[in-house]
Amino acid sequence: MSLPEVVQVMSVMLGLAVAQQSAEHLAGARDRLLFLPRLILALVLVSGWQQAWVTWALFAYGVVLLHRFDGPYNGGSDKMTLLITACLSAYHLAPDTRWQEMAMAYLAVQLVLSYFVSGYIKIIKAEWRSGEALCDVFRFSAYPVSERLRGWAERPGVLWLMSWAVMGFEVLFPLSLLHPAALIGALVVAGTFHLANACLFGLNRFFWIWLCAYPSLIWFQDRVLG
Amino acid sequence: MIAKTISLLLPALLPSWRFFKTVAASPRVELRVDAGDWQEARPIPERVGLARMARRLVWNPRRNEQLYMVSLSERLAEDGRDHARAELERLVRAGLTGGERFQFRLVFLQREGTQIVKFIDYESPVLPVAEHVS
Repeated sequence: MSLPEVVQVMSVMLGLAVAQQSAEHLAGARDRLLFLPRLILALVLVSGWQQAWVTWALFAYGVVLLHRFDGPYNGGSDKMTLLITACLSAYHLAPDTRWQEMAMAYLAVQLVLSYFVSGYIKIIKAEWRSGEALCDVFRFSAYPVSERLRGWAERPGVLWLMSWAVMGFEVLFPLSLLHPAALIGALVVAGTFHLANACLFGLNRFFWIWLCAYPSLIWFQDRVLG
Repeated sequence: MIAKTISLLLPALLPSWRFFKTVAASPRVELRVDAGDWQEARPIPERVGLARMARRLVWNPRRNEQLYMVSLSERLAEDGRDHARAELERLVRAGLTGGERFQFRLVFLQREGTQIVKFIDYESPVLPVAEHVS
């Protein structure tokens, strides 16, 4: 895919993800007026009309929301939403192709870091290597979506295996850049990981927004090593 | 305003990506109405079936509000932010269905050796259920 095609695909995906996020806020009366214009902007982004202006407007909107919620409303998923919007905004502002590529490469590198750093900071901790940390996530953290899921804390063997599967995948993720087929495989596994997090921990917004960044990495791999 | 914007924006543009570095003390928001018993403000359900999990992929406002309350609790415990306190008060009040006065508190669960212990980090004053009644 050429860079303009990648940006086109990512813009549509970002528009859909932001529309999903915004629509959820329409359920509550207080923020309805704040999120309705964002929903409309997201749908306009999907349509492709005035793509640059709409992307810039969504970035500005992201800053307004940071002030409204005194930080991200939804932690890492809001940060990734803003990062993708910022990189697409920079792409549209860039004076030439080289700077456009830099904007997309920055996003691709951050995506790789999102897995590698997350795996690295776990694997250096004894409680993660022993599986105890993941047991604690299920036992008493606020993340499991149901009480029944807390029962998984009583299966330390399974959680030890899951801990190593997640940490191993995350720290080895950068190696997938060495071959296009390996990268596609790694992205399928990563998407499945986010899907599991959405089901078990209710992190549905992470699933959609991380998928939005994947085309940048496919382009980056091809541009740098292809 | 500019300094605040930069401080809010930087973690998104230069993210640390340190998800679950440690499993820290985990907050729960509890409330009581008219000096009754304390109960969790947004309890999780006993079970969530596959169909509901699938539906939540695209429509999950209550769960995301719960996660926002977790963030607010951590912010309030960390540096006593007024914004976090006011937002928690608003969200707890919005979930009430009756009574005249209520209180909320932040309870944290954390591991100490082999035990999971519970401690209270913050307790609100008694507040009116109706927003504009003093």
